[in-house]
Amino acid sequence: MSQAELINEGLSLMVFGMGFVFIFLTLLVFATGLMSKVVQTIAPEDAAPAPRKAAASITGAADPAADPVLLAVINDAISQHRARRKS
Amino acid sequence: MDKVIALWEGSGLYNLELNALIMIAIGFLLLYLAIHKNFEPLLLVPIGFGGILANIPAAGLAYSAVEQMAHVGTVEQLNQLAAVLGVQVENYKQVLDAYYTAPAAVQGAAQELAADLNYANGMMYNFYSIAIGSTVAPLLIFMGVGAMTDFGPLLANPRTLFLGAAAQFGIFATVLGAVGLTSLGIMDFSVAQAAAIGIIGGADGPTAIYVSSVLAPELLGAIAVSAYSYMALVPMIQPPIMKALTTEKERAIEMVQLRHVSKLEKIMFPLVLLVLVALLLPDAAPLLGMFCFGNLMRECGVVDRLSDTAQNALINTVTIFLGLSVGSKLVADKFLSAETLGILSLGIVAFGIGTAAGVLMAKMMNLFSKQKINPLIGSAGVSAVPMAARVSNKVGLESNPHNFLLMHAMGPNVAGVIGSAVAAGVMIKYVSAL
Repeated sequence: MSQAELINEGLSLMVFGMGFVFIFLTLLVFATGLMSKVVQTIAPEDAAPAPRKAAASITGAADPAADPVLLAVINDAISQHRARRKS
Repeated sequence: MDKVIALWEGSGLYNLELNALIMIAIGFLLLYLAIHKNFEPLLLVPIGFGGILANIPAAGLAYSAVEQMAHVGTVEQLNQLAAVLGVQVENYKQVLDAYYTAPAAVQGAAQELAADLNYANGMMYNFYSIAIGSTVAPLLIFMGVGAMTDFGPLLANPRTLFLGAAAQFGIFATVLGAVGLTSLGIMDFSVAQAAAIGIIGGADGPTAIYVSSVLAPELLGAIAVSAYSYMALVPMIQPPIMKALTTEKERAIEMVQLRHVSKLEKIMFPLVLLVLVALLLPDAAPLLGMFCFGNLMRECGVVDRLSDTAQNALINTVTIFLGLSVGSKLVADKFLSAETLGILSLGIVAFGIGTAAGVLMAKMMNLFSKQKINPLIGSAGVSAVPMAARVSNKVGLESNPHNFLLMHAMGPNVAGVIGSAVAAGVMIKYVSAL
């Protein structure tokens, strides 16, 4: 194979390969998004367990880190504290 | 007295050549790096030890029966071999050259001749042909990696797949670099060899070994050693590039909390990926098929025993054989050449370009999207799981001590594994169509 041919092969492999990788992963992004949407509408999982966890916190959950409401309150308090210290 | 002389002539010291001595020293160097410096010890310990074994003088552990015969056979046996190959030759090197280029039927005849004369394949040669020659070991490792991978962060933010795609630019830029060096007359690589060298930029050990075992088995030792060495060096190679391409403000960007991903989504993902591979790129099916299979075993939750074996016992067993087999390619007459230096230097360029492309892609995505992403996670697009993600996290913490990027960086990190397997499939397809 001559030198010019070899460079040409390298260049076309780069364009072809990079193009294909992008096309494939773009399709994967769309396919994944579609799949997630379908799964969330057909079998919503988030709705059911959330209230149960909230109920557990009222009765005094053993592990505060597992309680999303308490976690949110703590996070909020920390960020307020930080904001106050900065000013 | 004759017996003593025969014993002396059969000893390692008598048969020691300078090349073998250098390779044994390289084997010890790899062991030192693995044990003392903790460089990818799981692979470099078996590779280094295998390299020493393969270079023991006169033992010929890494040679096939025909190669053994050519190296240690008598003049008469060499002539017989040359007659089978149908060539007129003077020394064993020419015999071997003729053997490597002979058609499969003639090679078979030469192997039968060697068997008749009581030559057998060396131990390391057998390991190599069973583990890597058959491509079984890298594929089983890929299955184990699939069983260890959590696609949760990727599913929560599928856009990070683009970062994994961009980082593969390092692979193709290096292919161009390799053919460029060839056309300048500095090195001599074919397109297939250039493609196998480029895959080092994928920063994915099993993918690199798979591609080079298919496209350029003669370069496998150098490619595997450089891929694993640079993966160990990721924490040193990446941060300067990441810092050079981003501003302090960009590095401090905090990302929104990832959403919860349901179990069903995680089960569906490997199946979606498998269907896409089947439809678009059957050449990537061996790699991604095993990867999806491993991941499905992990997520489906009904075969925990198989998943546990795939990600622990099996992957460890296979790693031992994979490492020793790669070591068998560190035999002096195949490894000590200018090409190896070329491969080592191209490999580090590949890593650098891949890192830069990932970071730049993240910055470009920020131009078009409202939800900002921290460009530091772009560098995790060169697989090297989970090292590259940890590097992103660490550099991010330097700019903003409350900014934990680890989970966000795992998205592009596993996307990089998929991206480099896709790139591998494209290259195998392209080169075999030439």
